[in-house]
Amino acid sequence: MVTLTIDGNEVQVAEGTNLVEAAARVGIEIPTYCYHPGLSVVGQCRICFVEVEGMPRLVTACSTPVRDGMVVLTGSERVREARAAVMEFLLENHPLDCPVCDQAGECFLQDYSVQHGLDTTHMVDERRTYPGLERRLIGPHVIQNQNRCIHCTRCIRFTREIAETYDLAMKSRGNHSYIDTFDGGPLESPFSACVADVCPVGALTVKEFRFRARVWHLDETESICPGCSIGCNIVIGHLKGTVHRFVPRHNPEINGWWMCDYGRFLSESLNARDIDTPRYNGEELSWRQAVDTLKEMVAGAGATRVVASANMSNEGLLLVRKVLLEHAGLEVVVPVDEGEARKIKNGRKEWVHGVDAHPNSTGARLLGLKVVDGAELESFVMTSSGPVIVLDSKAHPWLATEAAAQAVANQQVAICARITTPLVRKAALVLPAASWIEMEGTYTSSTGRAQLARRGLYPRSSARPVWEILTLLAAALDAEPAPAVNPRAVFEALVEEIPAFAGMTYRRLATEPGIPVLEEVPNVG
Amino acid sequence: MEPILLRARGEESSRSISTYLKLGGYKAFGKALAMDPAAVVAEVKEAGLRGRGGAGFPTGVKWGFVPADTDKPKYLVCNADESEPGTFKDREIIHVDPHMLLEGIMIASYAIGSHAAYIYIRGEFWLEAQYLEQAIAEAYDKGYLGRNILDSGFDLDITVHRGAGAYICGEETALIESIEGKRGQPRLKPPFPAVVGLFGCPTVVNNVETLACVPHIIDRGAEWFAAIGKPRNTGPKLFCVSGHVARPGVYELPLGVTFEEIINTHCGGIRDGKKLKAFIPGGSSAPVLPADKVGIGATFDEVAEAGSMLGSGGLIVMDETVDMVWTLENLLKFYAHESCGQCTPCREGSDWALDVVRRIRQGHGRTEDLETLRRIARYASQGMTICPLGDAFCGPITGFLDHFGHEFEAAIAAARPLPPKKRPILPVRSERAMFGLEENS
Repeated sequence: MVTLTIDGNEVQVAEGTNLVEAAARVGIEIPTYCYHPGLSVVGQCRICFVEVEGMPRLVTACSTPVRDGMVVLTGSERVREARAAVMEFLLENHPLDCPVCDQAGECFLQDYSVQHGLDTTHMVDERRTYPGLERRLIGPHVIQNQNRCIHCTRCIRFTREIAETYDLAMKSRGNHSYIDTFDGGPLESPFSACVADVCPVGALTVKEFRFRARVWHLDETESICPGCSIGCNIVIGHLKGTVHRFVPRHNPEINGWWMCDYGRFLSESLNARDIDTPRYNGEELSWRQAVDTLKEMVAGAGATRVVASANMSNEGLLLVRKVLLEHAGLEVVVPVDEGEARKIKNGRKEWVHGVDAHPNSTGARLLGLKVVDGAELESFVMTSSGPVIVLDSKAHPWLATEAAAQAVANQQVAICARITTPLVRKAALVLPAASWIEMEGTYTSSTGRAQLARRGLYPRSSARPVWEILTLLAAALDAEPAPAVNPRAVFEALVEEIPAFAGMTYRRLATEPGIPVLEEVPNVG
Repeated sequence: MEPILLRARGEESSRSISTYLKLGGYKAFGKALAMDPAAVVAEVKEAGLRGRGGAGFPTGVKWGFVPADTDKPKYLVCNADESEPGTFKDREIIHVDPHMLLEGIMIASYAIGSHAAYIYIRGEFWLEAQYLEQAIAEAYDKGYLGRNILDSGFDLDITVHRGAGAYICGEETALIESIEGKRGQPRLKPPFPAVVGLFGCPTVVNNVETLACVPHIIDRGAEWFAAIGKPRNTGPKLFCVSGHVARPGVYELPLGVTFEEIINTHCGGIRDGKKLKAFIPGGSSAPVLPADKVGIGATFDEVAEAGSMLGSGGLIVMDETVDMVWTLENLLKFYAHESCGQCTPCREGSDWALDVVRRIRQGHGRTEDLETLRRIARYASQGMTICPLGDAFCGPITGFLDHFGHEFEAAIAAARPLPPKKRPILPVRSERAMFGLEENS
């Protein structure tokens, strides 16, 4: 450990820490553009100048490691003048188009201009422009406006160091250099939209989110990505009940600062819904009637089979185990689809590999539920003689096929769903399920970390999360546990019952980068 | 003074190894191989040889920075990326006597323990690269390169690497990046190349002329070398004189000779009987000096004292007909074109300064422009940038404004009004006060 003084505050940090991070430790924000904690240090934007006692020149905080006894000034006259000068250089050629720029509101050029810039400019000459590069789609998801670029090269370093796709490059030289794909072709990296995240200005923006909402109007909800077993941490941006975007949230152990395009653009799927009310053979029901109907199917004479889902939270799965498996004695399977291979870099630049397409297959295994693959699911459904309860219409891609509907042609089916599929059309009892952002829950990633996804919206229409449906069913069946008022209560029961979750609290889940539930960390590196 | 670096000038086939051997070549290398490498470094240190590339850093000291106890390979790189406007001395050495450079590289490699040396030569020196390849082939033939050189057990290979035409690759870390096959952009320092250089290994980068001095130091001794020139500024120096003199060219003179002597005695004075107006003493990035400073001696220290730098020894002479605004514009055009674009102050500042000076020259200057230029010069130099290219374009701005500011003021006074379209897109708070715009403009 090294002890140094920053603006009079003594701070102890690990050796090798740079001054930006050391200052952040005592709550001092040093402005940065080219510096990003997840990327290599290039020290080229020059905004992070600080004064170090004993050094004749100002030094860039990003490229200066701490030394014992160092005395750093981040707000001296010299520093402020230098920062103002660098801000002026950066703004010299930057268009004043904030009113029509999608980055406005989360633009570091705006923020630091207010904090560190001059209130005017000495520049009267014509600004540099890049004709043809002002509104250019450089890939399926990213739009480039080179006029706004401040040449920090974060995007280039992202494609080299994190995505390892080497897509972007700086072309030409000097004041006229510009960002382009290396070969001039489209930016087709599976992580392409992250370049817009790392872009500190509006030079690279995401096509899907452009002009949908001003970012300062957005409500933000901390969640995790529902796209695969990795469980990348995200922030969901939503406004007036509509989900507008996913952006990655820092978690050094799982997704670093990044997420893949596949997961990111699942955001739009959260807005889809065509099932609003519980129905039995097409007739609208109240929830009370719906739960009673479900109870009949569970407690009826036939051998009822249950298809649970690896998309459900630990709490939902615990209730599946307690109510349906242990109390009602039904046969329960959790289908798991391998899906496409997904991966992401964690905060130490190690690849983290996904194992399947579900956010909680690891949790299902930990809870001792029977995990099956597609073929087993098919035969499980086809060989059933009694009613079939499907707790998630998207538990496996096969369930969305016409074949699934035909497989249960002669059975009574109950299904929780948001979107109509052939199986939903066939089902006798249809229960509207809450979407990802409409429910709270914990999920266990394939790296063995329990994580919390928060609720951002109340369920639209009369949809309910599956855990809630199950507590209502438990009450109807007089089963343990007593109806829970919120998933937190279910989580507390989970902590008591499952040894791997011992000692966990919501508070810890909210502040720690996921809590390990396995002895070893699988699927990393 | 007897020619040392250019001693083969005028000899028939001066570039061939036979001529070089006839003039006593490769004797020093043999002598060095018999010495302890540390003794070679000490000899160069004692001779007081200072780097001829521009910075004037003591060469022996630079060699001494290479860690002795490393298990990594070490590299010697010869910087032949001679791109500074007004500088053409390294080209002359390669033209006249490439073997002298090779011998310097061999001795330096032996001194720092390098077994692979690179000559990074600018792309435009196509012919010179051929000369070097030819000379290297001859040296391999005669056993001065390769395995177990002269039965000493020392191995050395020299590779010529051609640049692709970028001024910035003359900066040592950009040069290293370029050899590594990357975009030629300077690296952050520290770490310095002596510790982490080419391919991440300890590396010494020396200028052509610096290395060409080394065989003579070893051959005739540090004392002999130190006796040439002035204290702390020892040895012969090539001066490249261009501009309005009767006989421009490369002149070999001891350090400390006055600029007056170079211009009047050696170059035949100002052309067509005109008067000297100003001179740039060390290549275009050195601040310009007015005619009355012509009496100072050409040493690193004296020129620095006068507010400029000896740099590469590229002496650019201007007579009374020269328009200083135009000259500065011309220089800035070069630097704006050659800025690598990596760090903000240089990328934005070089082009901005060019815009301002061009506007003044075109008759649209404003009195505030001079302050703007000063501001750019202050904040794009002195460590605000990663590499010295910031200083390289700010030096001229400061020099021209200090000594010839009245010409800029006169150009501004004769100005026509600025076309209104050049105003900022959106008005800012103090715009009117700042830009002095009239209400009706």
